[in-house]
Amino acid sequence: MAATLSDEGPRGGALIFSASTLIGPATAIVALGVIGPLLILLRYSLNDFDPRLLMVEAFTAKNYVTFFTDAYYLGVFFTTVRVALICTAICLVLGFPLAYLLARTQTRFKNLLIIGVVIPLFVGNAVRAAGWMTLFGSRGFLSVTLMDLGITTEPTEIMFTELAVIIGIIAVNLPYMVLTLQSVLEGINRNLEEAAFSLGAAPVTMFVRVLWPLALPGIAAGTILTFILAMNAYATPVLLGGPEFRMMAPLVYSQFQLNNWPFAAAVAFLLMGTTLLLTIAASLATRQRFRG
Amino acid sequence: MARLELDGVSKHYGDFYAAREVTLDVAEGEFLVLLGPSGCGKTTTLRAIAGFVEPSAGTVRIGGKDVTRLPPWKRNTGLVFQNYALFPHLTVAQNVAFGLEMRKVSKADAATKVNEALRLVRLDHLGDRLPRQLSGGQQQRVALARALVFRPDVLLLDEPLSNLDAKLRNEVRVEIRSLQQRLGITTVMVTHDQEEALTMADRLVVMSEGKVRQVGSQRDLYERPADRFVAGFVGRSSFLEGHMSGDTLTTPGGLAIKCARKIAGEAVVALRPERVFVGTEPVTTADNSFPGEVEFVSYMGGLIDIHVRLSEHDQVIAQVPNHDGSVLPAVGDRVHVGWAPTSAVFPAEHNGMDG
Repeated sequence: MAATLSDEGPRGGALIFSASTLIGPATAIVALGVIGPLLILLRYSLNDFDPRLLMVEAFTAKNYVTFFTDAYYLGVFFTTVRVALICTAICLVLGFPLAYLLARTQTRFKNLLIIGVVIPLFVGNAVRAAGWMTLFGSRGFLSVTLMDLGITTEPTEIMFTELAVIIGIIAVNLPYMVLTLQSVLEGINRNLEEAAFSLGAAPVTMFVRVLWPLALPGIAAGTILTFILAMNAYATPVLLGGPEFRMMAPLVYSQFQLNNWPFAAAVAFLLMGTTLLLTIAASLATRQRFRG
Repeated sequence: MARLELDGVSKHYGDFYAAREVTLDVAEGEFLVLLGPSGCGKTTTLRAIAGFVEPSAGTVRIGGKDVTRLPPWKRNTGLVFQNYALFPHLTVAQNVAFGLEMRKVSKADAATKVNEALRLVRLDHLGDRLPRQLSGGQQQRVALARALVFRPDVLLLDEPLSNLDAKLRNEVRVEIRSLQQRLGITTVMVTHDQEEALTMADRLVVMSEGKVRQVGSQRDLYERPADRFVAGFVGRSSFLEGHMSGDTLTTPGGLAIKCARKIAGEAVVALRPERVFVGTEPVTTADNSFPGEVEFVSYMGGLIDIHVRLSEHDQVIAQVPNHDGSVLPAVGDRVHVGWAPTSAVFPAEHNGMDG
């Protein structure tokens, strides 16, 4: 018995490091770097603000009340949720066929195709936005082409609109959606689709009854990931939305710049809370009894 | 239940022919087995029947109706996959009900039929389980029930037993066969396992390199193989090659072998090991008798293989029953082997692949 026990030590190599040793450093960084500042922010958000004295120690819900009673801030809030939902929905619709193709392709160039999907992420947000500007501006490529072709007579202004922001965010988020879906779809055996076909299911029925329910964990993961990214987008709304367009993340930053730390902290908390709530709601809605 | 006809079905991808001019006629209620090594075109043929492969040429008819261009969901075929392909998110009963649901069978009607189908495979007590809670053999039977419940015109089995362990395989083999006979359902099975093919089939189709080599009963294939490939693939054969003139084949080693069939030019004789006699004296009862030297003896219990070298170029294997008190030749012994001229002989150019 003793011999057996001593045998097991070296063979179970992981035992050399205990679980706590392995996850300890990461946990410490998360605790110090995320939870700590969050607690400080939470405390700040309950403080008062005075234009001359700046942050004043207090214990008040004033910042939150201001946010929910001011039409401007509410507008920013709803714009953010709307843009995030639209971007996520479009990412799902555009991403699913692409992910399916990547998961099912037999080509030798599959790795190249995947790199093709990821390549947009190699470009920084600011550089990408600069690219969109040359395309979307009133004297940009798109507008000029439309006028030259005689399709429009007036310059088309896409730059500094919600549409520009939505297109910009989709371009950033789509790779995340595609890669998440692709890995899940690859795990669904092709034979299951063929089984459904041979049992009499046309492609749409097969999709609804077999592919969609089996891919649901991946759809949930991809949707949540892109939704969180869209809710918290900063560079794209600032660069493509222009000064008139406001989403939550830029609002947080601008309040910090105005030195109104208590209000900025409150907005940051609301942004995080909303993201968290909608994410939990989404995972509950897609929760399933059976897993593929 | 329906007749299934394939007429000159070919499928090529560029220059590569996965199936070449496959013509088959499967009678109502017949159990046909497509047998061959991997890459021989048997799976392509099955998938062409199911509708997953669109033939480059030829027609597929089920019950007299041309289904060549119909998608799989519009053909009434029941398909059982090698890995069963049960829907993991549906219960056993829901899996079996799937085909009925697609055919808009009423709920109550479907429930009865599902129960019947599950009883047929002795799993009616497991309807509420999920596939992953079942053993491989049980999953196999659910897949079978799912494919049978809507009474398909043709049942298609794609290596249905290869994921089961040996003991279970024998049981399921018998079970599938008796079920098929009881329901009288036209069935096509694909396998590379010749024992499986021989025990289950009414008729067999031996394929290699995309082509049908021979269609026939077990006996046809064994007694009258069409070519060297079939002689080597179905059962075992030793081959003697040589030049034939008249009814005599002369091997490079100088043996003059009498044959029942005349072929002009290069030819090859296939000898079944159990039809080769071995003795210490010349075999007077057979037309062909040659002296040789025992090269190798393989003791397999009930049967014994004796490899005998007849010349520098020619070697035959004789299989003898291990009778009580029989004296075994030892390696190096001088013996005589003999065989009847009725052994199969083919023109040499038929050797697509060595057996």
